[in-house]
Amino acid sequence: MVILSLILLPFLLLPLLYFIVRPRPVNIPIKNRHVFITGGSSGIGLALAHRAASQGARVSLLARSLKKLEEAKESIRLSSGSDVSIFAADVHDYDVVQKAVSDAGPIDVLVVNQGVFVPQELEKQGLDEVKFMLDVNLMGSFNVIKAALPLMKQRTDRLPASIALISSQAGQVGIYGYTAYSASKFGLRGLAEALQQEVVADNIHVSLVFPPDTETPGFERETEVRPELTKILAGSSGSMKAGDVAKKALDGIQSGSFIVPCNFEGHMLAIATAGLSPQRSFLMAVIEVIFAGVLRLVALFFQWNWYRCIEHWHPRKKDT
Amino acid sequence: MVLFTLILATLLLLLLLFLIVRPKPVSIPIKNRHVFISGGSSGIGLALAQKAVSEGARVSLLARSLHKLKEAQKSIREVYGVDVAIFSADVRDHSAVERAVAESGPIDVLVVNQGIFVPGALENQASEVIKSVINVNLTGSFNVITAALPSMKNRKDGAPASIALMSSQAGQVGIYGYSAYSATKFGLRGLAEALQQELISDNIHVSVIYPPDTQTPGFEQERKIRPELAGIIMGSGGGALSAEEVAKKSLDGIKSGSFSIWFNLEGYMLGFSGAGFSPQTSFPVAFLEIVFAGLSRLAALFFLWSWYRIIQKKHAN
Repeated sequence: MVILSLILLPFLLLPLLYFIVRPRPVNIPIKNRHVFITGGSSGIGLALAHRAASQGARVSLLARSLKKLEEAKESIRLSSGSDVSIFAADVHDYDVVQKAVSDAGPIDVLVVNQGVFVPQELEKQGLDEVKFMLDVNLMGSFNVIKAALPLMKQRTDRLPASIALISSQAGQVGIYGYTAYSASKFGLRGLAEALQQEVVADNIHVSLVFPPDTETPGFERETEVRPELTKILAGSSGSMKAGDVAKKALDGIQSGSFIVPCNFEGHMLAIATAGLSPQRSFLMAVIEVIFAGVLRLVALFFQWNWYRCIEHWHPRKKDT
Repeated sequence: MVLFTLILATLLLLLLLFLIVRPKPVSIPIKNRHVFISGGSSGIGLALAQKAVSEGARVSLLARSLHKLKEAQKSIREVYGVDVAIFSADVRDHSAVERAVAESGPIDVLVVNQGIFVPGALENQASEVIKSVINVNLTGSFNVITAALPSMKNRKDGAPASIALMSSQAGQVGIYGYSAYSATKFGLRGLAEALQQELISDNIHVSVIYPPDTQTPGFEQERKIRPELAGIIMGSGGGALSAEEVAKKSLDGIKSGSFSIWFNLEGYMLGFSGAGFSPQTSFPVAFLEIVFAGLSRLAALFFLWSWYRIIQKKHAN
């Protein structure tokens, strides 16, 4: 009897969640539409640009270095024959960003991808580095979105638009050495949840992409300075190639998913940290409800493992 | 037969959790210890100061306005006969914070409580306002923590110490009109999860406090300019709590070294559905998190359904 009702449960949840998931599912085309990517001159941003261009989108790139932008432009022309527009600007400067955005023209898919990461224990990290990460990753994202929003709201085609934020698995769980980086990436989620409520009526859909360690030039630099413990703990999730992350990201953006995980561990993290994030797919919603408890248990096991690791590395200095 | 299996499974799970919860539970005394509260001249910070003083702690307050600090100091002296130390500094100025912290002496319990909230839809909010919310709530918290850390790590007594961060239910869910505020309060959690891993070996325990709307002077101001939709959506939660209630529960949570401190039924639902990868030091609470995770997520989906219908209705007009 009990077993029967346990088996029936998912089947009852399916129609229930089918009716209540909000916002509703949506499809966001990118062919012939304007995709604007910040931090688009290298790494994940560049991979996204390549992919979007090859799918027929009109692409604009924003980054700091004009030289890197020109190299990116050249490489995209060589691989997909399309011309991307490039804009040199620092996301920290609102006026400059606004100018770039208005020069680029109304945006259909905004990919807020710029990010910097300097892993370090907080007590050793200079406040300059903390501020740098918060300014670029968080404040910079506000600047970009705020600059793009007015024209996005006034777009003439009635098709759905997208604002996609590239977060990180460090934006789902805080790890040793990532106080500032995780702070900035967790912040993107608070921003995204609120923003989605503010722009849903304009048919604009917010996506948060959560890549794991990704093989990019930025990552190369980061691994050189990573504290040993960070390497061990972050190694719990595998790394991915930028091209694969770009594929997952773009697929997620086009299906209007709010949370876009990129690998298996990412899916586990997403279910565990579902919280109050919207879920448009009723199937995913059923999975989240059914596996929430199991995933919390898994998360607790990870904590047990990580804290034993930390204790092994740094035996407690004082006994109470 | 089924009942027996259920009871057995429950006991086994409880035993398992008892063995694996990390970090291990801890008790953090505050009597005769130094409690340093930023944003301590009013609201929740002041209520925390009063509670800590009443429990025998030595309290220091940091805030911007010397005038408000003196009033706070006076009010505590009148009620408790105790003198709290006061330091005027803007948390955005890390040198000023460092000077204040140095002058106040080594800290045992650091309560990072300063915060501003200016509600408004992102498209209507000036970039400068967003910047100040981030600088006070998030960057400012980094300033306070890094200033206090060295002396906290070198403290002489072997007793456990605490760093408590004042978040908000807006740090558990982002709501219309709160993009900047929610961003900073979510950010505090990322900071806390990483920080706990870095400080556990120094016997320093991190707590994140998630109050709902609380009756403070700041809240009064905020309510006047809150977008209508935000009010409707948030009104579907519990009512506002008094600063004293929030202070009491916060201090209890800090003393038991709880990583997450929740308030009222909504807070627990938000907490269970958003438990994520936050540590949990209490094995009974861990048990509840697991058992109620699915139900909490279902409740969350219902809340989202309700909120998005409200938004749709408002914009249809």
